[in-house]
Amino acid sequence: MLVADSHRRSPLPLTCFVFVLLFSLAACQGQEDSRGGTEGVIRLTYWSSQNPQERAVAKLLVEQWNRENPGIQVIVQPLPAGQSSEEVLLASIVAKTTPDVCSNVWPGIVTELVRANGLVALDQFANFDSLMSSRIPADLYDRFRSPDGHYHQIPWKSNPILLQYNAGLFRELGITAPPRTYSEFLDAAKKVYLDEDEDGHPERWIGNRKIHPIWHERRFDYYAFYLAASGGTTFDLDGKFVLNESVSDQVFSLFRELWKNEYYPMTELKGDPFDRGLIATKLVGPWNIARLRENATPGLEYAFSPIPVPDDYSGPAFTYGDFKNIAVFSTTRHPEEAWRFASYLVSKEADLLLLEYATQIPIRSDILTDAFFADYFAANPMVADFAGLVPNARGVGHLRAFPEIMDALAQQFEAASVFGVISPQEGTRKAVDRIRAIEDWNQ
Amino acid sequence: MGQVINNIFARSFRSLSRGRNVSGYLMIAPYLLHLVIFLGYPLVFAFVLVFHRWDIITPMEFAGLKNLTRLIHDDLFFKALLNTGFFLSIHIPLQIITALFFADLLNKKLKGQDFFRTIYFLPVVVSGVVVAILFSQLFAFENGYINGIITALGGERVPWLVSPQWAMPSIAIIVTWKNVGFYIILFLAGMQNIPASLYEVASLEGATTWQRWTRVTIPLLNPTMVTVIVLSTIGGFSLFIEPYMLTGGGPLNSTLSAVLYIYNQAFYFNHMGYAAALGFAFACIIFTIVFLQKRFVTKDMYS
Amino acid sequence: MKKITAYTALVVGALIFAYPFVWMLSASFKPEYEIGDMSLMASKWTFASYQLVFDTIPIFSAFLNSIIVSLAVTGAVLFFGSLAAYSLSKLKWRGRDTVFNLILFTMMVPFMVLLIPLYTLVVKFGWTDSLVGLIVPFMMNATALLILRQSFLTIPTSLLEAARIDGCSEWRILRQIVWPLSIPALITAGIIVLTANWNQALWPIMVIRDEALMTMPQMVLLFTVGGGAQARLGPQLAAGILLALPIVVIYLIFQRQFISSMASTGLKG
Repeated sequence: MLVADSHRRSPLPLTCFVFVLLFSLAACQGQEDSRGGTEGVIRLTYWSSQNPQERAVAKLLVEQWNRENPGIQVIVQPLPAGQSSEEVLLASIVAKTTPDVCSNVWPGIVTELVRANGLVALDQFANFDSLMSSRIPADLYDRFRSPDGHYHQIPWKSNPILLQYNAGLFRELGITAPPRTYSEFLDAAKKVYLDEDEDGHPERWIGNRKIHPIWHERRFDYYAFYLAASGGTTFDLDGKFVLNESVSDQVFSLFRELWKNEYYPMTELKGDPFDRGLIATKLVGPWNIARLRENATPGLEYAFSPIPVPDDYSGPAFTYGDFKNIAVFSTTRHPEEAWRFASYLVSKEADLLLLEYATQIPIRSDILTDAFFADYFAANPMVADFAGLVPNARGVGHLRAFPEIMDALAQQFEAASVFGVISPQEGTRKAVDRIRAIEDWNQ
Repeated sequence: MGQVINNIFARSFRSLSRGRNVSGYLMIAPYLLHLVIFLGYPLVFAFVLVFHRWDIITPMEFAGLKNLTRLIHDDLFFKALLNTGFFLSIHIPLQIITALFFADLLNKKLKGQDFFRTIYFLPVVVSGVVVAILFSQLFAFENGYINGIITALGGERVPWLVSPQWAMPSIAIIVTWKNVGFYIILFLAGMQNIPASLYEVASLEGATTWQRWTRVTIPLLNPTMVTVIVLSTIGGFSLFIEPYMLTGGGPLNSTLSAVLYIYNQAFYFNHMGYAAALGFAFACIIFTIVFLQKRFVTKDMYS
Repeated sequence: MKKITAYTALVVGALIFAYPFVWMLSASFKPEYEIGDMSLMASKWTFASYQLVFDTIPIFSAFLNSIIVSLAVTGAVLFFGSLAAYSLSKLKWRGRDTVFNLILFTMMVPFMVLLIPLYTLVVKFGWTDSLVGLIVPFMMNATALLILRQSFLTIPTSLLEAARIDGCSEWRILRQIVWPLSIPALITAGIIVLTANWNQALWPIMVIRDEALMTMPQMVLLFTVGGGAQARLGPQLAAGILLALPIVVIYLIFQRQFISSMASTGLKG
């Protein structure tokens, strides 16, 4: 049976060959370019946000663009899934898989993206200044200037954070005005507290927040309250981290009270607890109006008010603005065309679509006065509440390693506010110590 | 084209492979090539990284001993180490007792034991992701299944994954539940190797059940015991999916595990050099522990 | 009497290990608001949870990716592993013992040391966001190699010598004599590698960001923790069922081989 066949080919070298081939094939795959143009047509990849409303806007805009610009065809994709869009963008910089244009860039990571040479400087394009000044005043767009003096982002939407409250429930409980100060907020919390089965634990709370120390969650509670209480002062003072410690203490103390008295639950509530009437307030951006419009239980009455401030605070209402901006990535082979598409995304018509579909606020100084948007705001007074606050919405500045700074604060927020194992003062002090160590490390 | 190349390879191979040792080299070559690229090089590079600062997006910078001094002063590194110790101190005894208990039952040669063995082993083959999803509901504080049972029996709800005291024990229970089937099989195999004559002698001498366990079964299961302890220890240091999905390392970092901390440093904050240093530090600790376990738990592991 | 106690304990054990899966299966077909109930029955059965999974994530492409990756890895491990195992057990060459000891040593290197440098290597090769990055680094496996070598050692050398005298190449001997005699070992090694690979989640979440290239565990994980499930429990459980189902079905068919395979890794380690 086992007689040798002199003409047999030994598959062993073939195996080695396949092995080598696989290696080289694989090595090539990284360099393969999916954006290669065919017959003079330029193709651009554009990443939009993942939520269904914004995807709809992006789809409409891209369809129109592709009709009007047969020579520059855009493919729109939602940002790849991940824990957060920041993590995804940094990872794609590493892997060199960034798109040509992305409209969901959080300014907090722009500093990192610029350090990695990941972004195209936009002020090199001739009409940059005119485009900027047609939308917003110089002092506002100056806030988005990178430490190297250039601009790497088109300020796009601002999303100020407000306190959404269950107006029907508040009325029922005799809370006549939405809470403006910490005392009023705690007072309202006490009235909302409901322990029907008398087991010592409530079944209804004033609000809830994720208790895991995930840094980006702290933008919407700790940081928003910090900005409101500090008169809109960010941590970034000319590139140096500065924390107003007494303000930080006050914010830590407020949240300690909320968790200590079980006004906030310790556990995660499934589904949408606001909609189910389990919680009476929620910290949200204007995007939530679109979500409620589609999903809220009929009869649920809701309204918005500014973030509560310490009792002794006097001054205008400030809040955190969850800015999302448009950037052109340096992996693009067609920066001119990418820039043209990016500026198309901030036309008046595009801004109106963003308002209509996604109830998100474009950064435009004249948005509430321009006749073009007047009909919309007349029909949507709640969105106007948010738009009115845009001038007082603050972002995060240009500090290096901002996620790590927020992580240091998130760790102490958990210790001081959620569990109360250390005092608020200790929490602030420990966070500052840690942040100094991070700064030293980055020297 | 492929045919031609293949022919060329085949011919040159045949002229080369007259001797058996040439075949030997050729057949081990792919394995060794892979070993050098995907194990040797990374191992060397990990060592290089320990002395560098690198965020993977800008060029590497030499940092001397900075990563190591940072490690010595890093509370979270020691926290992760303590957490792993705490995890193992619950997980290992719980696992051994449960596994011995069920292995003994399965060793009674009752009818249907194959069926039970199949069921006990089921969680072993299922992904940790599935187990985490399942236990996020079973161990939920409000409306969780297990707390539902406890309150129905008139008890107080247990804050399984939400209190810093309970979170790590909960994870130890989950991991034990997932893995114990594997260790039942190991012990069962060990028990089946114990000669029946030993038990006969023991019962002739009037040994109680307890004595049969302590004098015969457990001493003779010693090699298996070492394997179980060593594998559980390595598993404890590799803990990732359960804390990542269920607690994110919290509350108060009480479930921060070694691998989770490495992952956070590398992928949240881009400290590749520091993450590599952490990897080395944890690996040295595992080596020492496993070495000591093999040394002291048994004297004749390899006999 | 003793028997009854033993059976009771066995049944309680079976409930502990199997009931959670039964509950999970039943809950994944319940309406969201009834999942909190203790009972296995629902007032009405619904596919709504599965519907949301299918609508939000490309679970089918993830399933295909998982199949491609696990089969490629398992195939490569068995193929290259048996070449190496044959060379180490049945061929004589200088340095063989050194190489074997080296391979034994590599088994002791904890994966966490390699995690970061291996990731940066994959980045350097440009294999992030490609299935190659999930396959190639795991194409060799020392455990599988040892299992195969152990089995090859039991094959009498005289059988191989006879074939050599007939003029068979070593490759042909491996293919026509060694493999047919080592099918149990190949199955054992295959099962170990396949299961480990099917369930692998840590490595994919580091290497893959593109939804179209994700494998099942990663996609289900991100769906659960990343908000795709909208904090709804039913869809999370449904996604978990979809992830568990293939491997559980294979396990129930080949349970004997599964159990002895897994046990053999522990007994020889």
